[in-house]
Amino acid sequence: MKKISILFRHSPYGNAASREGLDLALLSASFEQEVSVIFIGEGLLNLLPNQQPQLSGVKDYIATFKAMPLYDIESVLVCEQSLAQLGIGINELSLDCESASAALISHHLTLSDEVLVF
Amino acid sequence: MAPNSGAFLSFMSQFIIQVNGSVYGSFASVSAFHFCQAALAQGHRIHKVFFYQDGVFNANQLTCPASDEPNLHQQWLTLATDHNIALVNCVSAALRRGIVSAQDTTENGLQSVNCAPQFTMGGLGELITGIEKADRLISF
Repeated sequence: MKKISILFRHSPYGNAASREGLDLALLSASFEQEVSVIFIGEGLLNLLPNQQPQLSGVKDYIATFKAMPLYDIESVLVCEQSLAQLGIGINELSLDCESASAALISHHLTLSDEVLVF
Repeated sequence: MAPNSGAFLSFMSQFIIQVNGSVYGSFASVSAFHFCQAALAQGHRIHKVFFYQDGVFNANQLTCPASDEPNLHQQWLTLATDHNIALVNCVSAALRRGIVSAQDTTENGLQSVNCAPQFTMGGLGELITGIEKADRLISF
């Protein structure tokens, strides 16, 4: 088992990075790795509720983020600086997340065996 | 074995490489290829190159650059053959992008094949088991 951190740094619209990152996060967890997910910059837009991505012509993968606890992905960090920049409160997000400083995220990454960025 | 070979081996790493960029248009795959060459030249091992996201386009055997340009698809094939490296596509990422093997063509009633046979179609599980086996994952 390895400690795998998966970073989301892209908006849910404009490219498929977050969708394919989420696929990898869930798959890693189902292979019994210790998975953390971290949302940075526009990546945290994935966690806004009431989105309808199917209206933009893509699959609604965003709802699948809510499945992460079922896969025992319990470490969900969001960058507090990104929250402030985007004017989003931690309580507005669709998942239970921990607001983390850049220093804490940096520390978390040093404790990970592998880091994958989407 | 030379007396110092043990010391040499202790510095040797086993890598798995992940390529997320297309065969052309992004520099990710070129960088990954150069990294592989450099790592192998220094005695490290690479057991697998896993292609995810747009990386699956590297498997396209119809890649046909002008004769005075590098053919990165061909370069991956040569490197894999010379160093016994597995080239593995994420099958879901590949099918979404129209990269299909002979088996995929049959199963989906398609008319042609464009995935080079040296690239195998695997699941993301192959990336995870590869990460477990390797000392280090390097993503491009």
